[in-house]
Amino acid sequence: MTELRRATKSLDTVRRAREMLGSYYKRAERRREGAPLAWCMAGVPSEVLQAFDLSCEWPENFGTVCAARGVAAELCERAEGEGYSQDLCSYVRNSIGYVSRLLELGQVPPEAPRGGLGTATMLLGSGALCDPRIKWFQSLSSQYLPLPVFHIDPMSPPHDSHVDDPRIEAHYKEILSETLHEQVAFLERTLGRPMDTERLRAALGNAQETIALLWEIQSLRRAVPCPMGSEDFFTGGVVPLLFMLGERDAVEYFRCLRDEVRDRVARGVGVIPDERFRLLWMGIPPWYNLGFFNSLGELGAVFPAETSYYVGAPVEIDLSDPLEALVDRTWKRAVWITRWGAEVIPENLSPSGFSQPGTRLIRQWVHDYRLDGAVMHRTRSCRAVSWGQIHIKNQLEEEGIPSLIFESDMADPRSWADTIIMGQIQGFLEAIAAGRRERARAS
Amino acid sequence: MALRGLARARALYEGRDQRARELKAEGRKVVGYLCYFAPPEILEAAGLVPYRIRGDVRHPVTRADEYVEPYGCPFVRNTFDLAVTGRYDFLDGLVMSHACDSVQRMYGIWTHYKPLAFSHMVNVPHTVTEASERFYRRELGFFRERVEQLAGRPISDEALHESIACYNRTRELTRELYALRKSDPPRLSGAEMLEVLIAGTGLPAAEFEDLLREVLAEVRARAAAPGVKRARLLFYGCINDDVSLIRLVEECSARVVMDDTCIGARGMAGTVPDGADPMGGFVQYYFRGFQCPRTYRGTDLSRFDYVVEAAREYGAQGVILYILSFCDPHKFDLVEVRRHLEQAGLASLVLEDDYTLANVESMRTRIQAFVEMLS
Repeated sequence: MTELRRATKSLDTVRRAREMLGSYYKRAERRREGAPLAWCMAGVPSEVLQAFDLSCEWPENFGTVCAARGVAAELCERAEGEGYSQDLCSYVRNSIGYVSRLLELGQVPPEAPRGGLGTATMLLGSGALCDPRIKWFQSLSSQYLPLPVFHIDPMSPPHDSHVDDPRIEAHYKEILSETLHEQVAFLERTLGRPMDTERLRAALGNAQETIALLWEIQSLRRAVPCPMGSEDFFTGGVVPLLFMLGERDAVEYFRCLRDEVRDRVARGVGVIPDERFRLLWMGIPPWYNLGFFNSLGELGAVFPAETSYYVGAPVEIDLSDPLEALVDRTWKRAVWITRWGAEVIPENLSPSGFSQPGTRLIRQWVHDYRLDGAVMHRTRSCRAVSWGQIHIKNQLEEEGIPSLIFESDMADPRSWADTIIMGQIQGFLEAIAAGRRERARAS
Repeated sequence: MALRGLARARALYEGRDQRARELKAEGRKVVGYLCYFAPPEILEAAGLVPYRIRGDVRHPVTRADEYVEPYGCPFVRNTFDLAVTGRYDFLDGLVMSHACDSVQRMYGIWTHYKPLAFSHMVNVPHTVTEASERFYRRELGFFRERVEQLAGRPISDEALHESIACYNRTRELTRELYALRKSDPPRLSGAEMLEVLIAGTGLPAAEFEDLLREVLAEVRARAAAPGVKRARLLFYGCINDDVSLIRLVEECSARVVMDDTCIGARGMAGTVPDGADPMGGFVQYYFRGFQCPRTYRGTDLSRFDYVVEAAREYGAQGVILYILSFCDPHKFDLVEVRRHLEQAGLASLVLEDDYTLANVESMRTRIQAFVEMLS
């Protein structure tokens, strides 16, 4: 049984993540009082931030950390008390509760994990992925922290767009290029210094390597037994992908991870000793209870693939004009995803390194990853990611694959009903096993 | 005898899509659209019949659960359920826009499970900048091309100007009708007004214009009733395409004299600039000017000044904030708009609903208490 516990990591590299990813985990030590610092949303291209040598904090990630450390519920409640509905994103409520408490105390609340967030001098948001992201910093700035706000606003083609039409390509690339140039202009204005183009070029080169390594890791996870499960991806893959893409530390980390996973495949070593169920994970994980994956491992289940923070195939780009290279990379990745069926993907054109796999790709994974079923986490406060799970469930049924959808939340542990959820999981695994026995008898 | 004025508006409101079906039977193509970001003027200029897709609060959502999650905009889920159960089978096409997450996601699901011969999504940026205005303008260009393909003929600039002029007249007439609610008591109730507006969403603009002229004449001819003093309210918030809630408020000794909702005043404010550049006029009206909370308009609370001004202009003493479950844009704004109204000395009451009006009796009690507090 789980009852809210942290994940036990399987891979050595993941266990060493904090030490290997020093530029992220030790950023508090390098902060200088009064220096510019941006609170950023995932999806703001970290390569551009690096090109400005700008210190950053990510309130979404802080939400996951607060969730894992057991303080998110209290902070969410505080935001609710100030009028923010429980329907709203729990990352948002967590950050609003934190800021409200910060202002009340005049200092970082003692319960804040990792010393809290650095003092922001600007808020950098994004219009991509969901509506809360365009409203979040508006509320933070208008109600709590009157700081300058800038949102990039990339647009994503609808699933039925003719992405091969050069006019459509020009249409989407134009707004992406313009919004990125606006971001650069905002940062140059606010920081009083120009962007370091060489640094941007180097960061994009590093990002290319990172994406290629992650693609390779994802392919290696097809092996039976599975060498890396979702608990290791979520604990060790998300931070360097979302917040460090472009940094050398991230490249070296993923290279090390790739080598370890490759070695496991060569030696036939799996995450769990008795692999009986290979499952797809869909949705944001319950960050306050990543030990949930280990509990499923104890029941013989492993997750070789997940739809969240999916990196997808690498694409070729010309780095001679790095900002346009970022535009080109973003567009090509969006096209790749759209071709695999993007009818329930929130928005697939984001200049960051992650998105979600398309419907046809997920159906293909059933065979590539030899999946027995799918477990989908319906997060009440993140409809952007949850919407589409029923559609994917319907699609997987056509492949003969059952799915279980259970409800909870990504950062608000008050919605976790352990007995009910574990009961659903056990019933689901038993149903898979029974189906397997029936098929064996029939043959 | 044929119905006229408010009686005709009520019949059209209750008949829902009856007129659209008649036009379809006459050989016209009917295109359903959700949200104003895809300008209906363009559809009409091509000779098509635009039909604003409505939900039905009395329709229990059953089949939609097979295809889409329960957590999400209950209005959008309701419209999809109507489609799945065949209520929108008369549509020749579907046009949605990236108004919010729910509509954007639903477009994919709707076109997968209930595909139509014609479907199109108008993409809409979240921020108002010169670049995003250029993007939206190009989107409208693509939309125009697709509409021309469906209609089988190009849209002439002349037809577009005519369509814009006709829609603008409906807006001007609507505002004239609204102005008749400034008196105390108002000449027209909030429920009557909403019936007229909803009726108009299912009509070609010229027919709506005729209806508005009939209603205006009828209401102007009404004798100014001395009337009992009642609390005057502004109704703000999510889409409201059913008159039950306004009727409920007006049963509670209050008068809804003004609103800020998309089928109401929000969609009727101003006119589409109709000069040499009609597409530029749409950008101004439907993107830069349209006050949907899904668009980022900076952090200053003065962005809600127009609500306060409307309340003052119409003599409203309080504001009802009507919010649908899971509506992120409105739920974020709710905290800020309440604060702004409070600073302006306007009391407010939040009514949250899941687009079923199932909690109508508890709403009645709360409205009564609110009205009592105001008087």
